Order: sequence, then structure tokens, then C-alpha cells
Amino acid sequence: MHVLLPRTLEEALEMKASAPPAVPIAGGTDLMVELNFDRTRPQAIMEISRLPELNVWRRENGTFSLGAGVPYSRIVRDLTEFRPLVEASRTVGSPQIRNRGTVGGNLGTSSPAGDALPVLAAYDAEVVLAKAGGKIRRLPFAQFMTGPKKNALAPDELILGTRWKVVRGPGSFSKIGTRNAMVIALASLCLVLDEDGRSVRVALGSVGPTILRAPDAESFAARAMETAGVWRDPFGPLPTRVIEEFGERVAAAAKPIDDVRGTAAYRRHACAVLAQRALRWALDDRKLTGAR
Amino acid sequence: MVISHALGARIKRREDPRLITGRAIYVDDLNFAGMVHVAIVRSPHAHATIRSIDTTAARRAPGVVAVWTGEDVKARCGPLPVGPRIKEMKAPKRFPLVIDGVVRHVGDPVAAVVATTMDAARDASDLVEVDYEPLPSVQDPEAALEPGAPILHQDLGTNVCFRMTYGGGNVEEAFAGADVVVKTRIVQQRLIPAAMETRGVVAQYKGGELTVWTSTQIPHVVKTTLAETVRLPEHEIHVIAPEVGGGFGSKLDVYGEEGLVAALALALGRPVKWIESRRENFIATIHGRGQIDYVELAAHHDGTVAGLRVRAIADLGAYSQLLTPGVPTNTGLMCCGCYRIPNAHAEVIGVFTNRTPTDAYRGAGRPEATFLIERAMDLLAAELKMDPVEVRRKNFIPPAAFPYKTPTGAVYDSGNYERALDKALERADYRALRDEQAKLRKQGRYLGIGIATYVEITGLGAVAGLSGGNWESATVRVEPTGKVTVLTGTSPHGQGEETTFAQIVSDRLGVPVEDVVVLHGDTRAVPHGVGTFGSRTTPVGGSAVYVAAEKVKDKAVQIAAHLLEAAPADISTDGARFTVRGSPERSVEFKDVARMAYKAYKLPAGMEPGLDVTHFFVPKERVFPFGTHLCVVEVDPDTGEVTFRRYIAVDDCGNILNPLLVAGQIHGGIVQGLAQAIYEGVTYDDEGQLLTGTFAEYVVPQATDVPAFELDHTVTPSPHNPLGAKGVGEAGTIGATPAVVNAILDALAPFGVKDLQMPITPRRVWEALEGNSASR
Amino acid sequence: MLIKARINDEWREADVWPGASLLFFLRETLGLVGSKNACEQGECGSCSVWLDGELVCSCLVLAAQAHGHEVRTVEALATDDRLHPVQEAFIQTGAVQCGFCTPGLIVAVADLLEHDPRPSETIIREALAGNLCRCTGYAKIIDAVKIAAGRMQK
Repeated sequence: MHVLLPRTLEEALEMKASAPPAVPIAGGTDLMVELNFDRTRPQAIMEISRLPELNVWRRENGTFSLGAGVPYSRIVRDLTEFRPLVEASRTVGSPQIRNRGTVGGNLGTSSPAGDALPVLAAYDAEVVLAKAGGKIRRLPFAQFMTGPKKNALAPDELILGTRWKVVRGPGSFSKIGTRNAMVIALASLCLVLDEDGRSVRVALGSVGPTILRAPDAESFAARAMETAGVWRDPFGPLPTRVIEEFGERVAAAAKPIDDVRGTAAYRRHACAVLAQRALRWALDDRKLTGAR
Repeated sequence: MVISHALGARIKRREDPRLITGRAIYVDDLNFAGMVHVAIVRSPHAHATIRSIDTTAARRAPGVVAVWTGEDVKARCGPLPVGPRIKEMKAPKRFPLVIDGVVRHVGDPVAAVVATTMDAARDASDLVEVDYEPLPSVQDPEAALEPGAPILHQDLGTNVCFRMTYGGGNVEEAFAGADVVVKTRIVQQRLIPAAMETRGVVAQYKGGELTVWTSTQIPHVVKTTLAETVRLPEHEIHVIAPEVGGGFGSKLDVYGEEGLVAALALALGRPVKWIESRRENFIATIHGRGQIDYVELAAHHDGTVAGLRVRAIADLGAYSQLLTPGVPTNTGLMCCGCYRIPNAHAEVIGVFTNRTPTDAYRGAGRPEATFLIERAMDLLAAELKMDPVEVRRKNFIPPAAFPYKTPTGAVYDSGNYERALDKALERADYRALRDEQAKLRKQGRYLGIGIATYVEITGLGAVAGLSGGNWESATVRVEPTGKVTVLTGTSPHGQGEETTFAQIVSDRLGVPVEDVVVLHGDTRAVPHGVGTFGSRTTPVGGSAVYVAAEKVKDKAVQIAAHLLEAAPADISTDGARFTVRGSPERSVEFKDVARMAYKAYKLPAGMEPGLDVTHFFVPKERVFPFGTHLCVVEVDPDTGEVTFRRYIAVDDCGNILNPLLVAGQIHGGIVQGLAQAIYEGVTYDDEGQLLTGTFAEYVVPQATDVPAFELDHTVTPSPHNPLGAKGVGEAGTIGATPAVVNAILDALAPFGVKDLQMPITPRRVWEALEGNSASR
Repeated sequence: MLIKARINDEWREADVWPGASLLFFLRETLGLVGSKNACEQGECGSCSVWLDGELVCSCLVLAAQAHGHEVRTVEALATDDRLHPVQEAFIQTGAVQCGFCTPGLIVAVADLLEHDPRPSETIIREALAGNLCRCTGYAKIIDAVKIAAGRMQK
């Protein structure tokens, strides 16, 4: 085994091209466990935690780009405008883990329990991949993550980051686990309201092989808000039964399984509860902001 | 309460400076030149016959020094003795590695690989090829009792290790004549002790002496056992428990690895080190609890309990460890709790299963006893529509009844259960809480108030029904400088006796606490001792220190009297000086008396030189701490999540030597108890694979998972030891589990939920509220 | 591979297996045994150190990732026999029992107070969520954080 220490992205991509088995390491929160437990012995490990190109974010023409190497603690501190992302980042592990863990790591591992992933799915984010020679691929999140711990990353590619079109409107991330903090979610949910597009977006984590959107529930809620006139008037009431049905429709989109942490039935139920709460919070937020 | 200037005072821990700076040395921090490292190959099967073991590839791997299988061990090392036996108990002896060709739980050790580095040993251990023939396994203790169940130990012919009964009165009659009977089946799930430091052993044979550093609660027992196992005379074995990073009972065993590493050090002539990984710790170190209890309580309409019937089936796991049978038998002994129950019968059955062995874990049988009786009292209260407080009051053993003998055979020393209950209720403002609960229910919010009144047993060994070996030793030695060295046979590993034992000596001799050094955990320094477990360290080990200090003081007074030419009865002392009463000018300094004890040219006729007393304290009776824990929770009916609102603990551990340390013991104990209620639980699959095998799945509480605590005390000194102390290491755990579970079930009473399996996770609450978990 | 890192203000250099963690490098190679190994998976925080001023679990950092960088461990907190205020507060409140988790907790608390000099109890509990303690029930640790915060203000 050897460790590669590239200084620039270009060097890193070249190393990736010439030594395909090199496994990138940034926060180490997944790979180091595998190493410590003797579960993996890669031929080469490539340290990318300090590559400057991965440690930046940028806003251009209404699109936000987040480098794969930005740790969660910086997201929490500096990217407060993206509330669901901040809320998800805050629930990632402990301070020690947030200081090291990155969205790039969540993408690379592609665990359905990756806390940042429902947020990216709800943002309709793209994943930006690069290989030597300046070749860039941009994949919609749903095409990037293909299954539990499966994704479309090619062996010679690195995850540069993720980007999404910034939408105006409230949103949240929440999860249910077996304890209060630092918990692997039994179910997680990100809800985003797009005021301009008058759409509702919902993504679910930990309740399926990949991150799931709930298109039926999304259009149901958007239509119901239209019918009730809530898009125009944030103080207009949305009937309780609509919120309940929204929860049921979100739960219907889940494809959970039983495991040591929880049962499929409880996970599905948790999706309904999380969805109803998230929609209520969003509607309350709109009352505070006047849906601006 | 301050007993004297030293005893009862809130004195800061003298252990801390080395611990907070990272300078303390635990087993894993030891490194010696030429040291080799051990990795252990463990069974991946719950039950299998070993057809063959091929170590060829492992032996050839880089850095490998030796590879041992059971046969190699058998040639050099005898079996580990089984702990004290209870009558008619059937249990096999065990070798440090499996030698009879059958593995009986996932994690059973099969081979040991020794290499020059830990990594080399671990890598080579993957090359040991073991050919297993899987056998049918049995996971559930009740299934293990069924005819036709797979038998773990063929030579025993049964999975039943022992059956014991406790009880008295006429239970059949009591039940026949009762107005109401409540029944419940309680599953005490297995728990993983999970001390922050895993186990570890370093052994070195040098200059005709085998030195073994091991992370243990009982270094002296390890020494005696190793003498038999590795066949050396006891005086050639030196066992050291260095800094020990927690135990909670999990290091109250003599483990195969201790024998194995010692035997390897003898055979290889090099220092040998084995450090348990966290994953090994979860499968190879004992588990706690693991009991199924059938409970029936008979009572009259007015709430008076007439009879109790208990059938406890204990999941022993694959083998009987040092004190395994002593745990469930404690449950039988203590199942009547704080109540005057005239007729009681408890049957305790110990059963082997294809799982990690169980043994003493914080509380060791008393949490199970307290839980079953406290749940039954709440069920009775619900059945009779009485307040849980009133049912308890009605049945408490009154203060005048002590010493009180329970029908199960325990003789309670002293107690005032109602006083502790009242103090907790007052602190909680119980009436106001009930009013708030009623108000919130109307708003669809579910507050629960849980009460547990407990009594437990400490001060002897952890083994009920067994005799012998429950003394503790102490040496109090005044050095010629007047400074004091205390040697204790207890082996504290976080409890803080370097501080409290210095306080005892300071209290008796009057010397400053800073002048007293307490040594422990080293069998060279302390020739004989027992160890730290079962909340015995203060009542038994502390009493030994107390008596030794008293004897030292008597001798010092005699020397001082001789020097001052006065009668010993006329000498008074403040610790710094001895003075003739009424003649303040006639005095001698403590340190001059100490020097004279060794200079010895002016001692009373016939007196031996020296100022050094060893005392073996043998407690004649057991002691019984008690208290009331009151927990307030709110349950979210949508998600099933439980939120702590308040936690009040009123504990009576007799006289308190150091309130700072007592609070720490109670805090930590409560957290382990509430963890059993709502977070922790071992899960196996049907094949005996541990599913909760890391801290990611096994939920040890974090700071965010637990409430702030409100502590208070009543003080009912024990008449059975000179300190009047009762021990406090396990009380918190014993009180907490039923208090939390009673609170949750109180919250869910409007939904008709009467029982919930622990840990009461949000999912289980939700399923109970749905009422039909299977169909959804 | 040869790793050179600035450990507690001193450049140290040693050869380690490329897959080794920073924790292994500190403990086994440099003999800095104050950081403890208790889970190897970032769940317990006993191995907490600072890497370039950031609180990390050293078991989750590849030793090579510290190459050329700055590491501070619990051993650096007390200077010239003067304890760090956090250490003093731990003694005062009785926040230590078996001591195995203590070095990691001291580092985590010192880090918290560097970022937030007056944390609320909720913030303290959240900040310590990555440090398991099996002995104390956390109560006296939280008391210690409050006392240390007060002292460091002065």
C-alpha cells in the first residue's frame, strides 16, 4: 500500500488516471473505519482533503456550486442561507466528524443514510465529476446515485462537487433515529418549497435503496396549495386533512426494509410524520416571511 | 453530612492529576523491548465442530513468531477453574482456547497468532484456516429448555446449568385467597458492559517471575487462578492491574486470554501483549442481564400484597464464567424488594445458549429483581386504580421491623423506605406533577411519572448463596516519617478509593489526607485481597482500612504514653501530636512516635517494633442500600420518542464518605440504568450473529441522550460495619431502569398500554400505540 | 512511509505503515499515549486531538494526512506544571472516574471553549456528543465545562 499526496486537482486527476485503484480519502470517516477494521487494503490511497479546488463554493447566475471537500462544520458556519443543508450538516455525527466529513464523502460512499443526500436530491442538484485532461461530467443526482453504496463514478474520476439552482422558499431537513444526536437515521426527509415555480419537493433518506423523491405527494401538495390559495396568501389556511394526506402520500413513496435499527413499518410511519411536520414548518415560515 | 473533618467531606479526587493530563498508564500504554503481539482467531459460528485447523500459511507470514491452537494450549496450560459452584450445578471447565473441538458462540477463541507487530499478527490471523462443521444452535433460553433443543455441552446431557428455589410462606394459599392477581412476563435484554477501555493483557517472564499486567477488577483472584492454570507457584506470579478504564463487572472474571498470554510469555521468553479490539469486546467479554422473568403478584382489594411468584430463566450464554450463577440467584434472593410480602416463591433456572457468556454487570441480578417487583407494583396499582405511591406505602417494611428477614432469605440490616420516598415526592412536588399530567393529557400531550423504590444487597461478594472469600484486606503503615501508606486488596478502577481510603485514615489518625498514599492493584505490594465489585469496596475494603487504622492508632497511643510516661488512657491526640490530658506541655509529635516505632529503643516492654497493621475484615452480615428514583418523561405519540423532563434520585447508602464521589457513582449508575430502559439492547440474528456489534448499532448514551439529575439522600447507617456505609456503586442502575419504564408506561396509560419490551425505542412505543405491529 | 509532522510544537519524524492512522502514529510510533484507542471508528472521541487547529478523531485521520501539518494533543495542555483551566475544572467537579475517556473529553471541551466561551447547557451537550463516557453520566463533566468557561472569561 502507498499514499499519494497530490498538491493540485490536476495532479490528483493524473494520479487517478495512471493508478486507477487509488482510493481518495478526505474526512476519512468511512475509509479509515474500513482500514482500521482490516476490511480493505487498497493498493493506493490518495489524500485529497486539502486540494484547494475542492474546498471552495461559488454562486453564479443563480446556481450554487459546493466543492466536494468542504467540511460540514464550514457549511454550518458559513452557508446559513441553505437551511436544509445546514440542518442536515448539523446532524452529521459529532463536532469531530463534522470537522472532517464532507458532502463529497457522502456522495462517494452513496449510503442511503448519508445525511446530505436527501438535501441534494430535493435541490435537484447535479454532481460534478472530473477526470484528467479537464473532462467534466455533470450528472443529475438521481442518475449519480444508483443504489445502496452504488454510484456512477468512473474509476478514473473524482467528485469535484455538487451544484444546484438556488430556489426561493422555505425548507427543512429532519430525521428520526434511535437517539438524539450523532445518529444514523431511521428515516430522514428534506422538504423544499419553490415559491417561483410553485412546487413542493420532498426527498427521503434511509428508507430505500437510494434517496427517494415523492413525486405524487409533491404535486398533490402543490395543487392543494394552489386550490387553497396558499401560494398567493401565506396566511390562507391549508386544511389539516391535506397535510395528513400529504404525509400518507410521502410515506407511500418510501421503500423501507427491516434491519437492526428499525422496522419497515416504523420507517414508513416516520416518513409520514416527518413530512407533515416539514410541511407545517414551511407553511409557518411563509407566514413569517410573507412568502418572500 | 460531615462525619469528621475528613470523612464525609467533599474532597477532590487525588487520582485526577495523572488522568487529566494523559500521563496515566493503562495496559495498552505499556511497551517493552522485544514485545510480541497476539491476535486471536475467533469462531464465526454460534455452534460448530472444528474439523481441522491449518496454521501453515499463518506460520509463514511475515513477522509471525508462533501460532497456537487448542492442542498447543493444552500442552502448556490447564483449564480455567470454574467459579464458586452452587449445589447441583453442571458446568464444564474451559481452556483458554477451544480444545474439545466444539465452538459454542460467535467469538469463541480458536487459535492465537503471535507476531512482532499487532498488524502482522492481525494480518496473519486471517491466514489461519479453520474447517468448521456447523451444528444447529440455540439462541433463546426458553427454546434451550425444550426437549430436542441442541445441547451445548454433550457431556452434561442438558442445557440446564442449575435450578435454585427461594421462598417461604404459603404461596398457593396466598394466591387462592387473593382478590386480585397481576401477571407479567419481563424480558431483561442482554446488555454489553462496554467499559471505555477494552480488556488487555501484557505478560513477561523474567528472572524467575511471571509478571502479568491485566485490565481487571480482581488482580488477586487472577494471580491465584493463573498459578493453577500455568502451573507456577503463586509467589512466582505478580499480577498488576494498572490504571483500569472501567469494568462494571465485565472485568470481574478470569478470562482465557489472561491464561493464554501468560502461557505464551512463559513459552516464548518474550514480553507478550494482547489488546482486545472493540469488536472483540462486544463478543468475547461477558454480557450482562439476559433473563426472562414470569411474575405473578397476588393482593387484596386494599392494595396489601399477599404473595409473589417468580420464575426466572437466565440466559447464561455458552459457559459459566466466574460468577455467572451468582447473578440470577441474586434476583431470586432480592425479588421481594422493599415490601413485606409474607408468601413468596422464586425459581431460578440457569440455561446455556449459543451466545457470549453472561456474568455480573452493574447490579448483577438486583436490577432484574427490582425491575420485576417495581413493575408488578405498578401493574397492581393500575389494576386497583390506586396511586403507585399508595400501593408502595401500604406494603413497605416499616422501620421498626429491621433487621427484617424476607421469605427468600435475605436479612435486611436497616432501612426507612418511606422517608426516602417522601423526600423524592416532596422534591418532585408530586401532586403538582399529577395535576400537570392531567392538564396536558387534555391537550393531547403525554407526561409520565415513574417511581421505583428499591432495596439492594451489597457488601459481600456479588455471589448470593455462596459462602467464603468475601473478606477484604488492608494494611495501614505509618512510615518512619509519619506519612502513611495504605495497601488495599480492593482494586478501584474509577471509584476513587485513593481518595476515600485516605479520608478514612485521616479521620482515624488525624493526619492530613495529603499525607496518606493508597496503593492497590499490585499483588507484590498487596499480598492478598479480593477486589472491587458488588459495591463492596467501601463497606468491606473501607472497613478493613478503618479497623487497621484503629489498631495503628492504639499502638501509637501506647508508644506515645510510654514516651510521655503516662497511661495510654490519659493520651489524647489531634493527629499532629499526642498530649497527656490536663498537661498540654507534655506532648510528643505524631512523626516522632512514628520514628520511635522503628528506632525502637524506647518502646513499651515486649512491644514489637513497627507501626504497621494488616487487617482482614470479614463482614458478618450483608448490607442493604435503598432509595427512591422518580422520573418524569414526555412521550410523543406521533413518533414514539421519549423526552426526559426530570430525574430525581433519593439514595440511602448509609454514611457518605465523600459526597463528590457518591454523586458521581449515582450519576453514572443512573445513565446505565436508563440506557437499559430506552437505548441499549443486544440483538442477535437466528444464527447467533451479533447485530449490535459496534457503537454505531449498540446505543451507549451520549451527553445529548441523558437528562440533568437532581440528587438527594437519606442516611440510615448500617449497623454491620464500623463506617456505617452501604455501598453505592450500583444503586443508580438498580433504581433507574424501573423508574424510567414506569414513567413511560404511566405516560401511555390512556392508550391502555401495559407493557413494553426494553429498550423502549420510539418504534416500540409507536407499535404499541398502533396495537398491531404485525399487520402493518 | 516517512511521516513528518509538527506535534505539540515540535517537528517529529517517523516511519509508519501507509495505512496507519494518526492515532497509531501518535501512540505507537511517538509514544504519546494520552490519546486513547477505544473504538477505531470515530464513535467515542477518546482519541480526540487538534489537526491544524480543528478538533478531529485521530483514528479517522490517516497518519499521512498529517504529514507536514500541525497536531496538538492532550499532552500539550498542561504547561510547566500549570494545568489548563479545563483540567482544573474537571478535578474540581469530580468529572473524572476511570479516566479513559478523559483526555479526549478535555481536548473536546477545550476546543468548545475556544470557539464558544459561554456555551449553554444544550450547546455543551451537543458539543460533547462525540465523546462517550461510561462512568460519569456526563453530569459533572457538564458542570466542569461551565466552571472552566467562567474562569477562562476572567
